[in-house]
Amino acid sequence: MSTPMELIKQKRAEAINRIHSKGYLSTKRVYVGMATCEIAAGSKEVMEVFSQAMKNGLTDVYLSQKGCAGRCNLEPTVEVVEDGKIPVKYCKVTPEMAQLIVERHLKKGEVVKEWLIK
Amino acid sequence: MTRDFVITLCDGPSCMQKKSKELKEAVEKELEKHNLANRVRINISGCLGMCKNGPVVVINPLYTLYGQVTPADIPEIIQSHILKNKPLKRLAIEEDHLYNRFFRVFGDVNFFGKQMRITLRNCGIIDPESLDDYLSVRGYEALAKVLSGMAPQEVVSEVKKSGLRGRGGAGFPTGIKWELTAQQNSDEKFVICNADEGDPGAFMDRSTIEGDPHTVIEGMIIGGYAVGAKKGIIYIRAEYPLAVKRLQKGIAAAKAQGFLGENILGSGFSFDIEIRLGAGAFVCGEETALIHSIEGHRGMPRPRPPFPSVQGLFDKPTLINNVETWANIPVIIIDGAEWFSSIGTQKSKGTKVFALAGKINNTGLVEVPMGTTLKEIIYDIGGGIPNNKKFKAIQTGGPSGGCLSEEYLDTPIDYDSLAKAGSIMGSGGMIVIDEDSCMVNIAKFFLEFTQNESCGKCTPCREGTKRMLEILTRLTEGKGQEGDIEKLERLGNMIKKSSLCGLGQSAPNPVLSTIKNFRVEYEEHIRDKKCRAGACSAMAVYEVTDKCVGCGVCKRACPVKAISGAPKAMHEINQDKCVKCGLCFRNCKFDAIIKKG
Repeated sequence: MSTPMELIKQKRAEAINRIHSKGYLSTKRVYVGMATCEIAAGSKEVMEVFSQAMKNGLTDVYLSQKGCAGRCNLEPTVEVVEDGKIPVKYCKVTPEMAQLIVERHLKKGEVVKEWLIK
Repeated sequence: MTRDFVITLCDGPSCMQKKSKELKEAVEKELEKHNLANRVRINISGCLGMCKNGPVVVINPLYTLYGQVTPADIPEIIQSHILKNKPLKRLAIEEDHLYNRFFRVFGDVNFFGKQMRITLRNCGIIDPESLDDYLSVRGYEALAKVLSGMAPQEVVSEVKKSGLRGRGGAGFPTGIKWELTAQQNSDEKFVICNADEGDPGAFMDRSTIEGDPHTVIEGMIIGGYAVGAKKGIIYIRAEYPLAVKRLQKGIAAAKAQGFLGENILGSGFSFDIEIRLGAGAFVCGEETALIHSIEGHRGMPRPRPPFPSVQGLFDKPTLINNVETWANIPVIIIDGAEWFSSIGTQKSKGTKVFALAGKINNTGLVEVPMGTTLKEIIYDIGGGIPNNKKFKAIQTGGPSGGCLSEEYLDTPIDYDSLAKAGSIMGSGGMIVIDEDSCMVNIAKFFLEFTQNESCGKCTPCREGTKRMLEILTRLTEGKGQEGDIEKLERLGNMIKKSSLCGLGQSAPNPVLSTIKNFRVEYEEHIRDKKCRAGACSAMAVYEVTDKCVGCGVCKRACPVKAISGAPKAMHEINQDKCVKCGLCFRNCKFDAIIKKG
């Protein structure tokens, strides 16, 4: 019989496979902060914009929620991790800004510098 | 396309100078050579915060951090790590610790630079509602390690050796609590997670649970194994619906994967967790009151000893720890007590999470190693005071803590130094106060809170805080009398010594510490009927300046007709009639009315 340690290693490998199968290895990963504080600042609406964009045919993007990273005064935050580029964090994102991030950053690869955390 | 390896190159300002561009080219060239380009993904990250070892290269899996890498080293690294699956010892930095295996938070260098995230290691990194995400970051590995051959006694001694102290506020050594509970002979024992976070302005526990619920669950299972309990209870306030939801989801997922329930991971150990919702009474954060509340009684404390470790929930030995304490357990188990105790100061080990609030630029959640000074938190991480205002005080420990003035800014943060300075570590609330706030008013605010939340069981707390509050209210209304300060001190010390539980014993702290550090302000309130910050409205004096155009808005707004003046001529306030309501001040469109302290 396998030991708990062997079991956990197997479970981890399975978990990583499942994450990969959800499209984790897309060239762009988008994380939207979704803790109570961020939701209160409006991150649910922001998340909605991204998931709607995915439904409307935005491909090669992995969308996930995340907990609060502690940047309370800059919430909601959206993080974009892009293959071969430095990850960026957008702060105080509104649904309108999210739409533009989809159009400009995710579709055209242009980082909207003025909205980044300095 | 599945890629087997991820190479992360740091491209922070420091590493960039050290030629990370050339590194990238060297990596690409080498991958091409071995025809690995589609098996390996190259990731460029922002500053990883490890500049002194730069340029830094991280390769996953087998999380390995390579430091001071030159392009010439690349072939060797790829040969060894990727082709042979063996990390290259020569360049690897021995930092295989949970806290920095994740680089994503380090992007925002000013804010994260001085932080060290152990408790919050996964917060803002993983999807909290996904067990897969948690598993992918070595989740439940600590549990597996414990179940794969550590005796309960070994787990207890590991926690003891780590020097971890209770993060709920009092700072009792966690290992001793565990040992005491483990020593009890009983047919049934309980493990409780105290998530009844009630300090105004504190949200460490909420964020920890919302960002990474599984780490708390894992910590509790390990605790259950160590002390011989089969049942865990998370006591959390109903005001945290999202945290509750994520815990419920986490518990269900952990059960489905066999981390909770009967025969965990085939080890024969069984453990289960249930959630109890609290109604939000502050006193229920006190452990004996919390236990009463779970039992279905009114949440009131009882005298200790017997401590809950001996006689707790339903009179059974009970191990009760705070959320943050639990979240540290998996790290201690995986990385070892020795490493954990290397962080922090002599008597306070590890890190502490603080909720930074008040008059500070970067409000938020920060986690720093013990021994960091207040100054570093306020000015380096917090970014200083907004609008060029002057720093006046910092309030630590919530309503049980005290206010420290500027002279204490170099105090290193640990349980003992803060206590010596006249405040407490507390659960981690940290409120920065600038020159616009009145210290008497702040003390009144906190006392109002504890007075409201006093359960009423013991007289010193019930009656004493009420009397103190009456005196403070009198002071802020400009009706202070000579001798009030001494009365407050006498009452405060009496309540501290004679109250039944922590709530009463610490309730006078905000008052006593502000008297100690800002006595002048109290004296001004009494003798001069003056509030230098202009915050006590009853003592304010409103005056019309020559900016007045005589529009008459203030005259119409004044409820007691204290303002007179002809149209288009400067108006005047009759100070004898004025009731200091401030309506004229707020209604004036020309900023012609000023408020004086």
